Amino acid sequence: MSRGNHLLFWTMMSVIGAVIAIYVLFPIFWLMLAGFKSADELARLPVSFWPSEPTLQAYTDLFAPGTQSAQLLDWPRLISNSFIVAVSSTVIVVFFGAIAGYAFSRLSFPGRDLILGGLLVSRMFQGAALLLPTFRLMNALGLEDSLLGLIILYSAFGLPFATWIIASGLREIPVELEEAAMIDGASRLQSMVIVVLPLATPALITAAMWHFVGAWSEFAFASILIESSRNTTVTIGLASFVDYFTLEFNRVGAAATIIALPVLVVFFFGQRYFTRGLLQGAVKG
Amino acid sequence: MSPRSDRTLAYWMILPVVAAVLTFIVGPTYDVFTMGFTRFRMGMPLEFGSLANFRALFADPVFWTVMRNTAIWILGGTIGCVLLGLLIATYLAVDSRQTMVLRALILLPWILPDVVTAMAWRWMLHGQVGIIGQTATSIGLSERPISFLGDPDLVMWSLVVVVVWRKMPLVALILCAAIRSVPQEHLEAARIDGANAWQRFRFVILPHIAFSLTAVTVISMIWITAEFALPWIMTGGGPANSSHIMATYIYQQSFQFFNWGVGAAMSVVNLVVLVAIVTLYLYIMRRSWRSEADR
Repeated sequence: MSRGNHLLFWTMMSVIGAVIAIYVLFPIFWLMLAGFKSADELARLPVSFWPSEPTLQAYTDLFAPGTQSAQLLDWPRLISNSFIVAVSSTVIVVFFGAIAGYAFSRLSFPGRDLILGGLLVSRMFQGAALLLPTFRLMNALGLEDSLLGLIILYSAFGLPFATWIIASGLREIPVELEEAAMIDGASRLQSMVIVVLPLATPALITAAMWHFVGAWSEFAFASILIESSRNTTVTIGLASFVDYFTLEFNRVGAAATIIALPVLVVFFFGQRYFTRGLLQGAVKG
Repeated sequence: MSPRSDRTLAYWMILPVVAAVLTFIVGPTYDVFTMGFTRFRMGMPLEFGSLANFRALFADPVFWTVMRNTAIWILGGTIGCVLLGLLIATYLAVDSRQTMVLRALILLPWILPDVVTAMAWRWMLHGQVGIIGQTATSIGLSERPISFLGDPDLVMWSLVVVVVWRKMPLVALILCAAIRSVPQEHLEAARIDGANAWQRFRFVILPHIAFSLTAVTVISMIWITAEFALPWIMTGGGPANSSHIMATYIYQQSFQFFNWGVGAAMSVVNLVVLVAIVTLYLYIMRRSWRSEADR
């Protein structure tokens, strides 16, 4: 390629790249920006691009007692509720997913592939159609309106996919390593814990990240199961702004930023695990 | 260790996952079918073996709006995701510094919580203070501010735009991986034979990625059918029921109107649609499942 051609190519790639980047980033950037504007500024037309006087008022409104929104919802509590649910269900999912993933990738038993396929297909049915029966089931189990109920439900919903990711990860680890350990006298449990698990860490991290993000973001089932404000999660909290505020998008922006933050942190630090899990697992639904 | 005890061990190890799926997915699916054929009054079951719920559902004029909207939602969303995804994938597949950065960045819409995405777009599409309407007015595209979510003729299409934004990134990345797996020699050979860029895309790349393209199309349909939070928070089915899809209708009937019978009947319809799409998916993936089992 000639020098001029090369420059043209480089410019074209940059321009297209910039357009895609703006398309992808602008919506969330714009909402976050609103969180730093004052309510007065948002009510003025036309809406300014940068905040004219950047303020943290929306954030203090959310956290300080005595303001309108703080009376409605206790945001520190919502955040801790969501963390409890997301972290606990992640631990459960990774623990049982690792055990099942080991069986699916290392042991042979009748119906193995059929069951694994069935698990994956079951994931595709988790949706609005199951809201009503799930509500009935959770009430029958006495698990309505409780964080424990959400932990159990999210764990059940997340287990099939976590099992799948971990089983795929384990298949890439050579069986010879364990066989060698077992010939040296290690039991199956010992070889699993000492030899296999450390090598499977990337798959475990991938499964954990996917589950954490999903559980932290879940809205539909939480919104039908949780009734009392002390058990409310962040997604229900943000959705409730629809009822209370029309133009106060600064508070919406602040709350959305707080909710997006843990997900963004996981995303940026775990980029390579994320893409890995997605290309090997998400294609399967 | 004997194979027999291995087998027992394996069943114990997969027991939690299998039990979870049976209790929280298979059981409820069965339950909602029974509910669909049971007459309810205020959440109290009256009798089983009745078609009253389906009669009530089909008699509701909103039902037909829901079915039309769901078709726009699933087909519009899928076509949008696949076309835009393919376009962006073609760009992302090029080797350069710009695409390396973007391949990481592009997933952002995919991982953001739906509730956050819904709020971001509500804010951008707002009738008075939304930046999209404002920009359209200021560059002379429209006389008055456009109420994207308040206009019954526009609202479904606005929702489709948002769901495409939300689901397209993964489609683009999957297709990008497929395009990058095209052997360089094939492209080189076509180039030497005098094929231009379009011909190389049409006759070398497209046949190579045909399988991924088909699979990703059906998967997008499954994803978009499952989506609930986005339309519910953006419009709640409004204005005047003009943007209800199956998911939002189920939610409203079941948990706002406590019309359990109609909610269950709609859930059954939803499941039938899902089964059709999933069957199509399994049919397309049969090749890949088999090779998976052989491994």
